[in-house]
Amino acid sequence: MPTALLIDHLSKIYVKRRSFREMVTHPLRRAVRIEALRGIDLEVRRGEIFGLLGPNGAGKTTLLKILACLVLPTEGRALVNGIDVTREDDKVKRSIGFVTSDERSFYWRLTGRENLHFFAHLYGLDGAGSRTRAQELLEEMDLSEIADQQFMSYSSGMKQRLAIARALLHDPPILCLDEPTRSLDPIGAKHVRRFVSGGLNAGRGKTILLATHNLQEAEEMCHRLAILDRGRILRQGTVAEVSAGLSRRDHYVLQVSGREGMPSDPRWAIRVEQEADGVLRVFADVDRGGDAFSALLRAILNGRGTILTCTLREPGLQEVFDLMDPSGEGTGESKQ
Amino acid sequence: MSRFGTLGAFLKRDFFIEISYRTAFILQLLSIVSTLLMFYFIAKLVDPSPSTPGLDGLPYWPWLLVNLAFFIYLTGAIMSFAGKIRTEQTTGTLEAMLTTPTPLSTIVLGSAVWDFLVTSVRAIVYLLIGWLFFEVGIRPEGLLPGLLVLALTVLAHSGIGILSAAFILYLKRGDPITYLVSTGSALLGGVFFPPEIMPEFLQWASRLLPMTYGLRALRRALLLGAPVTDLLPEIQALVLFSIFLLPLGIIGFRIAVRRARLEGSLIQY
Repeated sequence: MPTALLIDHLSKIYVKRRSFREMVTHPLRRAVRIEALRGIDLEVRRGEIFGLLGPNGAGKTTLLKILACLVLPTEGRALVNGIDVTREDDKVKRSIGFVTSDERSFYWRLTGRENLHFFAHLYGLDGAGSRTRAQELLEEMDLSEIADQQFMSYSSGMKQRLAIARALLHDPPILCLDEPTRSLDPIGAKHVRRFVSGGLNAGRGKTILLATHNLQEAEEMCHRLAILDRGRILRQGTVAEVSAGLSRRDHYVLQVSGREGMPSDPRWAIRVEQEADGVLRVFADVDRGGDAFSALLRAILNGRGTILTCTLREPGLQEVFDLMDPSGEGTGESKQ
Repeated sequence: MSRFGTLGAFLKRDFFIEISYRTAFILQLLSIVSTLLMFYFIAKLVDPSPSTPGLDGLPYWPWLLVNLAFFIYLTGAIMSFAGKIRTEQTTGTLEAMLTTPTPLSTIVLGSAVWDFLVTSVRAIVYLLIGWLFFEVGIRPEGLLPGLLVLALTVLAHSGIGILSAAFILYLKRGDPITYLVSTGSALLGGVFFPPEIMPEFLQWASRLLPMTYGLRALRRALLLGAPVTDLLPEIQALVLFSIFLLPLGIIGFRIAVRRARLEGSLIQY
C-alpha cells in the first residue's frame, strides 16, 4: 500500500523563552529545553486510519502541527504524500485537512455557512465554488438546518461537525484529527466516529491520522496505531501487535461453581466476583509458559469445584496502556 | 483564486462581523462628531495667528482638521496589521487560517483591509463634516495631488504596520513599533502643532517620521491647492521611506514567522 505520511527520525525541541526577570537574576542559566518529539519514525499507509495514542504531553499535537505546517521540526523529515513539510508547505496544506478540537477556531458571530464560505476562499475556491462546496458539506454533516444561525449558538457536537466540514472543503486525501471527540457527549462522539470510519475512511478512502487519548476510540477505529509517551514511540502496529508479548501473564475469565474461595499461588493473581446461584466469576492472570495454568485448573477441580466456562482474554488497549504505564506513575512492569 | 478574491473574502467576513454589532456604526459616527466638536472649540480657544511658523498662513482649525483626519487614518491603518493578528491569535482563528494554503502575507493584508476601508471612510467623513459644517475650505485642484501623497504615505506606513505585526507574532504583546510611531507621530509629526515651534533637536527628530512629510503635503494639497511640483520634496521623502520601510517590514515579518514556527508559538498569545 502506498505511503501517505512518512515521519523519519523526527524531533522537536521547544526552547522556553526566558523572562526578563530570569535574564537579570540568572544571566548565565541556560534556557529550558523541552523535548516534545524524540526521533519519531512512522509510516501511515494510504487509506488507513492510524491512531496516535498517548497521555497529555506525549507529543501527539506537536506531531500533527508539524504535519499541518504550523510548527517546524528541529530534526528529521516529515513527508505528506511525498512532499516535505518544511519545503513546500502550500502543497502540503492542499493535501491535508487539520481538525482541531478547539471550538475557538471559528468566527462566533458569523453563521456556520459564512464561516465555511470564508475558509473555502482561503482554500482557493472561488465564490460559486465555495457556495456549492459549503452547501454539500453542510448537508453531509447534517448541519443544513442550522447553517444560517450564528456559530455561537451551536452545540459542541455541531461545532465539531463544522470543524470536520471545514477540513474537507478542499477535499484533501489526508485528514489529521486532533482529539475530535474530546468535548462531545457519548452519542455525539459515536456519530463522529461512525462518520470518520464509515463515511470518510471506508466510503471515500481518506487517510486518517487520529490523535486521541481515548483507548476505546483508538481500538474501535484504528487499523494501526502508535503509542507515544514523552515524545517517544513506545510501540506501533495493530492493536494485536501492540499488545503481543507485552505481558508475561495470560488473562483468563472462568465461571466456577461448588467453591467458596480460590487457591492462591505466586504463579497467578486472582480476583473473584460473586454471581447468582453460587457461581463465581474468576479473573485469573496466570504466568505464561510452564504448568501454571494446569496447576490452577487442578487446584480448582481438586477442591471440588466445577469449571463451567473458561475464556482466554486478548489484552485490550487499556491493559496495554496500564502495562506500559506511559505516565510513569505506576510500577512500569513492561516499560520499554 | 486571485489574491483580490481572497481579500474580498476578508472584507466580506469583517463586514458581516461588524454589522452583527448593531450599534457600532452609530457609535462610530457619534465619536467622529464629538471629536470634531471638541477640537473645533479647542481651536477656537487657542486660535494662533496664521503667521505662526509651520501653519503655512492657514487658520489653525482647518490646519488641525486635515492633520487629525489623516493622523487617525494612518495610525488606524498601522495598528490594524498588528491589531488584527493579535485578535486572530486570541480568538483562536489564526491557527485555522494558517492551515490553509493562503500565504501568511495575504492573511495579514486581508485582515487589515476592512480597517483600512473603515478608517478611509472615517477620514473622508471628517473632511466632509469639516467642509460642510465647520468652514474648512477643501481645494478641488488639490484632491489628485492629495491622493498621490496619501498613497505614498500609506505605503510607507504599511511597512511600519507589517513590522509591528511581526513583533506581535513573535512577542505577542508589547509591540514597540506601533507605540513609538503613533506616539512619536502625535508628538513630533505636526498633528496638533507645527514642528517648527519645537526646539531644533525635536524638529530634527520629526524629520525621521514619514507622518511629518505626509501631513505637510496633504495640508498643502488640500487646503492650499498646491500642485504635485510644489510637493516634490515631501513626495521624494515618502518614496524613500517606502523603499526602506516596506522591505524592512516584509523581511522582519518573514523572520518572525520562521522563528515563531520554530518555537511553536505561532498561535500562542
